[in-house]
Amino acid sequence: MSVLDQLNGSGLYLICGGIVLIIAVICVIFLVRAWRAGKALGMDTVKMKRAITSSATFSLLPSVGILLGVLALSGSLGIPWPWLRLSVIGALHYETQVASAAAEQVGITLSPEAMTTQAFSTIALLMSVCIMWGMILTTIFNRKYVKKLQGKDPEKKTGGGFGDLAMIAMFIGMVSAYLGSYLGGFVSGNGRFTFSGDWTPLLVAAVAALAMAGFTWLAEKKHWEWLDNFSIAGSMLLGMLSAVLVGH
Amino acid sequence: MNTNQKMNSEKYEAYLKATHRLGRAVSLLTLVMLLGAPFLIGGLLGTMPDIGAAARGFLSVGLVWTVSSIVEYLVYTPMLGAGGSYLAFITGNLINMKIPCAMNARELVDAKAGTPENEVISTLSIATSSLVTIVVLAAGVALMIPLRPVLESPTLQPAFANVVPALFGAMAYKYFRKDVRLAAVPLLCMTLLFMFVPSLTSSTSFMIIPSGALAIGLSWLKYRKARKEAQQ
Repeated sequence: MSVLDQLNGSGLYLICGGIVLIIAVICVIFLVRAWRAGKALGMDTVKMKRAITSSATFSLLPSVGILLGVLALSGSLGIPWPWLRLSVIGALHYETQVASAAAEQVGITLSPEAMTTQAFSTIALLMSVCIMWGMILTTIFNRKYVKKLQGKDPEKKTGGGFGDLAMIAMFIGMVSAYLGSYLGGFVSGNGRFTFSGDWTPLLVAAVAALAMAGFTWLAEKKHWEWLDNFSIAGSMLLGMLSAVLVGH
Repeated sequence: MNTNQKMNSEKYEAYLKATHRLGRAVSLLTLVMLLGAPFLIGGLLGTMPDIGAAARGFLSVGLVWTVSSIVEYLVYTPMLGAGGSYLAFITGNLINMKIPCAMNARELVDAKAGTPENEVISTLSIATSSLVTIVVLAAGVALMIPLRPVLESPTLQPAFANVVPALFGAMAYKYFRKDVRLAAVPLLCMTLLFMFVPSLTSSTSFMIIPSGALAIGLSWLKYRKARKEAQQ
């Protein structure tokens, strides 16, 4: 039996699948609690349903992208472990990088030919250790940090303070960093100011933004409010389609 | 504060307290499961992890991720609220999914930061998003053999390679139109920075910090000016 066959064995599926199942149950518990709390606080259930529907449609396409990460790692780490990693704490950009670095430390390259069972268990441990800090910080500090963020200012609890503007500004900063990287990548990606870098991310972002403008116009001017729930997913789909059409 | 508001406030405080208790318990449980799994798998395969190699690996890549995790925690928790942050840090994929997803949901229902409504909506959003990912991945793993040719199809590769640009393009329109002048400054600064220092493109997730700080600083100046004008 090859190492990859062992890594795809039923025992690993059972361990990883069991953990994924527990995480799914935790998500359901949080979902139900939040729903009940919302109702108890007198929140509009239509709004809560809308938040759930839009989040579900929003997450579909990125989830397929994450599935590709499982596929990419399955060649060297088998299917169950990447499945677990990308369902729990993992992040697409993180897993491959740490898996490669871990493989380097155990003296192999991340490939099915070089993989050994000990290399695998060491890589698996390092992948878990490197990304657990966010969870540790929430466990230790979240209560005090959230309390501090809410403050005692009654204006904040009704959303009238600077908090809301700060959150929007932070998000604008985040989007700017990514769009800036696409523009910079095109202009200087193959040498400073050569304008020969990859332009596909720019095109995709522009098409998605234009599609979003179209969806927003339909929702606001034609009063197709239901479209709001699907506008991000629809815009992303059109943006991604443009990448297929240009074939980059 | 009237009786109704006081009752709601008490209910909300009780909910938050219970959320922190539950959040800490499930985070610890996840931590134990994640750290225990490599040893359990090692036992099953007959070879335990090499702790020395794992420690060396941690020193070479882990420290960077530790710093990144601290920054992520400080920056994203205000966006996610209590319940949302526990769940998001358990289920991961924050930048490429959970944060934009929660922001989109609160935007749709017009929930304001720091309010009980925002806390509830954010938790509903992150829980739903996590469940969708879990279901898609589980279905994908179950159907891995028939799906593999489709997912690996050269025609569809460009689409899957550009999920994040598509997401941020759509979100850019949604957020930039709220304050075009505010958005122009960090966008211009970041573009120039990436043009002059192209190697930074591999550290885009770190560049969110200065870009976000700049946008928050500008927003604060605008807020203070508006408040002064309102007082006069």
